[in-house]
Amino acid sequence: MDVALTEAQRLLRDALRDYLTNEVPFDRIRELEKAGGSDQELWEYLQSAGFLGLPFPEELGGEGGELTDLGVALEELTRRAALIPFLETMVSAVAVQRHGDAGVAKEIVEGVVAGTMTLSPALLEGSGDPDAVAMEVSSGTISGEKQFVDYGAEVTHHLVAANEGGAVGLYLVDAGADGVNAQQLTNIARTPQAHVRYDGVAARKAAGPEALAFLQRLARLLAAVQCLGNSQQSLDMTVEYVSMRVQFGRPIGTFQAVQHHCANMATMVLASRFLCYSAIWSLDQGRPDDREIAKAKLWASRTATEVPMMAHQLHGGIGYTEEYDLHFFSRHGKERALAWGSAEECLGELADTIEEIRAWA
Amino acid sequence: MDYGWNEDFEEFRSDVRAFIGGIDTPALREELASGRDDVRGPLMDAVVDELEQRGWLKQCWPEELGGEGKSQWYQFVLVEEFAKAEIPYGLGTASMIGPAVHRYGTDEQREKYLPQIWNGEMTLALGYSEPNAGTDLASLETMAVRDGDEWVINGQKLWTSAAHMSTHVWLAARTDPEAPKHRGISMFIVPLDAAGVSVRPIITMSGVRTNEVFYEDVRVPSDALVGEENRGWYILANALDYERVTLGSAGQLFHTFDRLLTHVREERPELLEDDAARTRLAEVDLDLSVMKALMLTNASIVATGETPTMEASMLKVWTTELRYTMSSIGMDLLGREGALSEGSDGYEPFKGELENTYRVSPFLRFGGGTNEIQRDIVARRGLGMPR
Repeated sequence: MDVALTEAQRLLRDALRDYLTNEVPFDRIRELEKAGGSDQELWEYLQSAGFLGLPFPEELGGEGGELTDLGVALEELTRRAALIPFLETMVSAVAVQRHGDAGVAKEIVEGVVAGTMTLSPALLEGSGDPDAVAMEVSSGTISGEKQFVDYGAEVTHHLVAANEGGAVGLYLVDAGADGVNAQQLTNIARTPQAHVRYDGVAARKAAGPEALAFLQRLARLLAAVQCLGNSQQSLDMTVEYVSMRVQFGRPIGTFQAVQHHCANMATMVLASRFLCYSAIWSLDQGRPDDREIAKAKLWASRTATEVPMMAHQLHGGIGYTEEYDLHFFSRHGKERALAWGSAEECLGELADTIEEIRAWA
Repeated sequence: MDYGWNEDFEEFRSDVRAFIGGIDTPALREELASGRDDVRGPLMDAVVDELEQRGWLKQCWPEELGGEGKSQWYQFVLVEEFAKAEIPYGLGTASMIGPAVHRYGTDEQREKYLPQIWNGEMTLALGYSEPNAGTDLASLETMAVRDGDEWVINGQKLWTSAAHMSTHVWLAARTDPEAPKHRGISMFIVPLDAAGVSVRPIITMSGVRTNEVFYEDVRVPSDALVGEENRGWYILANALDYERVTLGSAGQLFHTFDRLLTHVREERPELLEDDAARTRLAEVDLDLSVMKALMLTNASIVATGETPTMEASMLKVWTTELRYTMSSIGMDLLGREGALSEGSDGYEPFKGELENTYRVSPFLRFGGGTNEIQRDIVARRGLGMPR
């Protein structure tokens, strides 16, 4: 067991951090938020630098990396508030590649690695329960509505959960096809999101229930990593700010009240880091533990709520302004806290499975 | 990143389990249950001897200390398995003061003290706190004055918890009253049977004994001084890092939670039908996982040869606060039977462990460096915030 980044992960993180710091100014994110849409230029860089092939086998043109590598990259992107469908594309493609139809998987992975294909999972229906899929495939087409599809109007394809012959599966849908109508939503993070209506749209079977289960686990954990990234960034900005902000003739970071808030924030973040990455590692090893996954997301969600909000408290007025960058992380953190299983949902799952607790496991 | 255990550790783990299976007899359990505090009985002494013979106690220590320099994960596995079995085999303060003597002592002191410390012949109580030096430990007033070949010690120490069951005290005393307070302290090894040492018991609310110790013209030879004169504060701070890891040891919380769940299942099944109760149990389960995350993060840092400072403090705070919240939540869930102590004719839930844990919990939050000091450490030493 070693919680430290591997050498390769360090290089990956540093390369990405350098690029983001130098080439993706926060003002570009501001403009994108206003105009809507995702960051094409960043996506092109990720494609050219090989980041889009990170978790795929080399024979499919990928980098043969681990799922934790994917987490490291996503955490870094989150710390720059990147507006791209990275999580959405990756969880879709990895789920199909690992547990779906080999032919469709090849097509998807090659498309993703080449930068010509982006995907988003379309699972939720009115009930809000991702496991309650009512949509039916009929003669190779789907009709009905999917809700809260992240980047639903930006990606080239949707991976839609639907039933066929009594079994649930994932279906590949061309997001630009006739009959696909995305109704754009405006969320607290200003990340593109849509309710999508499908009217008799062609849907190609990509994978079965196993892939769907894997996708939900991976998406929950990567959303937890996004929570972590928003929390870590808020914490780092806060420590830096209070260490230089002078009031009463001294940096406010010298006050014990301020220091103790920061210590508590750092503890939440450190635990979050272990819970997230250890659960991703287990999933990658083919030994997912749903209670551990729920705990990772629950803790990360709470952290992404409390840490950025305390960051605002410690920043005071400057952190509340539009021109300061902190709001990206408090808004994005809360939105991600709700995605793929909110703290409430995860806690409910844990409470419903109390019988499975193995304290020393 | 690697969150798995390699085969060597797993193999060692099963060896340890087999060993524990062999020594875990009713007689040993009886000895453990009837023992007071941390005094080892004859059976447990034999277990520790056997551990020593197998080379398990010091396998992770550096070779120059008589160890094998193996990965710290072996030590972690050993401690964890004994904690699971609830058999305390601890070397106690030896694991804290041994390394300090090794690092700061002279060759002669290493030869004289280390073998006795490791084999348990010499046991050390911690002589730090005083009536006017608690959290502000560096303001301590106990004096050591050089007189020819000897040191003469005068003063009063408080909370020397193991004084009544140790052979020596690891004593912090002022050797330069003129210097700034952190730069006038030295560390001594003082025999508790020396003339002029008197020990007075203080009983705590958990029933556990601690002591105050008076030093009146206590004379010790010059080699009782460990490390450089007036540099004792830094030796002490280094040893405190070890104490933090020791105090953070958290295995008991898993056991208490297990017994709470078993009690609820068997005696109070109606609670499992109650959403609010289930949710509170789920929260405790989550908090235990957070504790485990901090624990393994610490262990991973130690295993790479680094010293966790910020992380050890985080673990200490989390574990000690969870001890309080978990016992409190457990008592709340059970209602009035939650307050029952051992000796209630069997009406007490699992031997009154919850109320006992609750009574112990204040000590662990302020002991070993208060949780406020721990947060200072996280902020200043860990996050680099200004003083």
